[in-house]
Amino acid sequence: MKKRPDLYTNYRNESSIFPTTFQKFWFGLLLVSSFAAPFILSSYWVLLITTSLLIAIASWGLNVVSGYAGQVNLGHGVFVGIGTYVSSVLGGVATTSVIGYELDMIIWLPLSGLAATLIGIILSPVSARLKGLNLGLVTLALVFIGSHFFSNLKFITGGAGLGRKAAKLTFMGIDLEAGITFGNFILEKNDFIYFFSLILCILLGLGVKNITRSKIGRAFSAIRDRDIAAEALGINLFKYKMYAFGISSFYGGIAGSLLFTLSGGVEPGSFSLLYSITFVAIVIIGGVGTVLGPLFGAFFFTMLPGIIQALLHAFGVGDAGFIFNPAEIERIVFAFFIIFFLIFEPRGMWGIWFRLRNYFKAWPFSY
Amino acid sequence: MSNVISFNDVSLRFGGVQALKNVSFEIEENSLFAIIGPNGAGKTSILNCINGIYKPTSGSINIFDQDSKDLHPDNIANLGVSRTFQNIELFENMTALDNILIGAHRHVDYGPVRSLLFSKKVRQEEEKARKISEDVIDFLEIEEYRYSYILSLPYGIQKRIELARALAMQPKVLLLDEPAAGMNNEETEDIARFILDVHEELGITVVLIDHDMNMVMDIATDVVVMDFGEKLFQGDPQEAAKNQKVIDAYLGVG
Ligand SMILES: Nc1ncnc2c1ncn2[C@@H]1O[C@H](COP(=O)(O)OP(=O)(O)OP(=O)(O)O)[C@@H](O)[C@H]1O
Ligand SMILES: [Mg+2]
Repeated sequence: MKKRPDLYTNYRNESSIFPTTFQKFWFGLLLVSSFAAPFILSSYWVLLITTSLLIAIASWGLNVVSGYAGQVNLGHGVFVGIGTYVSSVLGGVATTSVIGYELDMIIWLPLSGLAATLIGIILSPVSARLKGLNLGLVTLALVFIGSHFFSNLKFITGGAGLGRKAAKLTFMGIDLEAGITFGNFILEKNDFIYFFSLILCILLGLGVKNITRSKIGRAFSAIRDRDIAAEALGINLFKYKMYAFGISSFYGGIAGSLLFTLSGGVEPGSFSLLYSITFVAIVIIGGVGTVLGPLFGAFFFTMLPGIIQALLHAFGVGDAGFIFNPAEIERIVFAFFIIFFLIFEPRGMWGIWFRLRNYFKAWPFSY
Repeated sequence: MSNVISFNDVSLRFGGVQALKNVSFEIEENSLFAIIGPNGAGKTSILNCINGIYKPTSGSINIFDQDSKDLHPDNIANLGVSRTFQNIELFENMTALDNILIGAHRHVDYGPVRSLLFSKKVRQEEEKARKISEDVIDFLEIEEYRYSYILSLPYGIQKRIELARALAMQPKVLLLDEPAAGMNNEETEDIARFILDVHEELGITVVLIDHDMNMVMDIATDVVVMDFGEKLFQGDPQEAAKNQKVIDAYLGVG
């Protein structure tokens, strides 16, 4: 081909994650303050933020398979459940009713993710045969099959209504269950879970970003938008749907392995249909097919009950004497937001954030 | 000269519709092979059979001397067969560049784990893909549309970007389904020039469908004329114009 001297060649910078020093600065600041959080915030907030981070990880997983690769999955909660139980069995304590091996987190954390990945990969051929609504129905069935197993494999899960203890927190031989005292500071178990969640959230968030700026992400989008054209361009649909489900369930499994260590126990009923649908809602509210969307959505979902409680208090509405109780109001508000975003802002909270950012970028003097 | 594609007695049926009826022909390497014929003659069906979207009801198709019976479209693409579509099949929500990068998919070699980690290999391979894409962008003179979203581009440019995406595969055979459809004279001339460049400069075997006899006469080295799923004529484009059956088909006689 002909060559031109002014051919644009600085490709690398273009696909970098933080192209400007400005962005690097803000990210660095956020990072530092994140690690300081447990020393500043109360345990209530640490718990909420940790939950948000873990739910964000799981939601990223769903966003990979549904948002990027376009494969409907209404059963993502099952993969979270698989991660939870693999970690509970490997890292939990054995009792007369359940098995447990009290292994180190360094073992159960990756294995939870990998076990979920394996199941995801095994199930992925279904998506090669079915599309859209039909695939949705099959993944719905997955929720019920999952629930059935979770309730009946009593030696693993403790059974419906009873449950079991989650994994113990031992990291590289250090027992973190009782917390550790550093001079004046006591870092509690949940503070450590926070640190682990934060690190995982950063790494797995970068992972999603990396997928989107690589061939795998492009192939996912191609399959989502036009599968026939994608195939004609040499993309193996079967293989890439397998990748999508594999990556997605890895994220779900990793999130699940830590999620229930926060409260210390897990009951099979947790992994209900509603639980799976919640992830769909979080992705929609946060922003389908965006990197930051699921993070926004997860924080929104986790913080919403607290916000509603505070508002009810502020307006002097008590628990009694009102047609809806706080939990119902929560669900109604959440449902309202799903509908709102579906209709008015298909790119979710990310879309709003994106516009605000551009607005301030275009502001006089900001450049 | 060897054959890159051969149709051996290929028939294709959709319920009551016989889209192709015992069609046989060979496409020689380095030819600019045109397929013409009236609406519904089966032209697009031929391309769909070549790249595996349709499977013949009977007969066989060889691609690079390999029976394509058990090959999926992606397998066939990876043999070096790329195409454009009659109704543009670009990824509309992406930029032109991303579309073209997807075209380069088969030249980029790494798996999902490396992708998650964005390893050194990924960087190298991505740079390679970008390089391939930029060469095509340069070749088709679409630099200014690099970062434009497809939906925001005019029809003629979209057509050119679809051609770019197909070229980014660095194919041995390029299948073009009515690349000049819906274009004005100037755009048609541009496209004809690009097709000639692809054929001559890049040495790619081109299979070209068009309604427009004149364009085909000008640039094709071989032509097959289709009518109602049957091959009416095969040979030199100048001969085709003189052939009575071809003239009748085009005038709707018989
Ligand atoms: N997927 C399909 N299902 C049913 N019938 C089909 C299908 N594809 C093509 N056909 C029929 O096969 C015949 C040939 O169609 P084809 O698209 O190959 O024609 P064509 O020569 O490309 O026409 P045009 O010039 O209009 O593009 C038509 O009668 C068409 O209706
Ligand atoms: Mg056609």
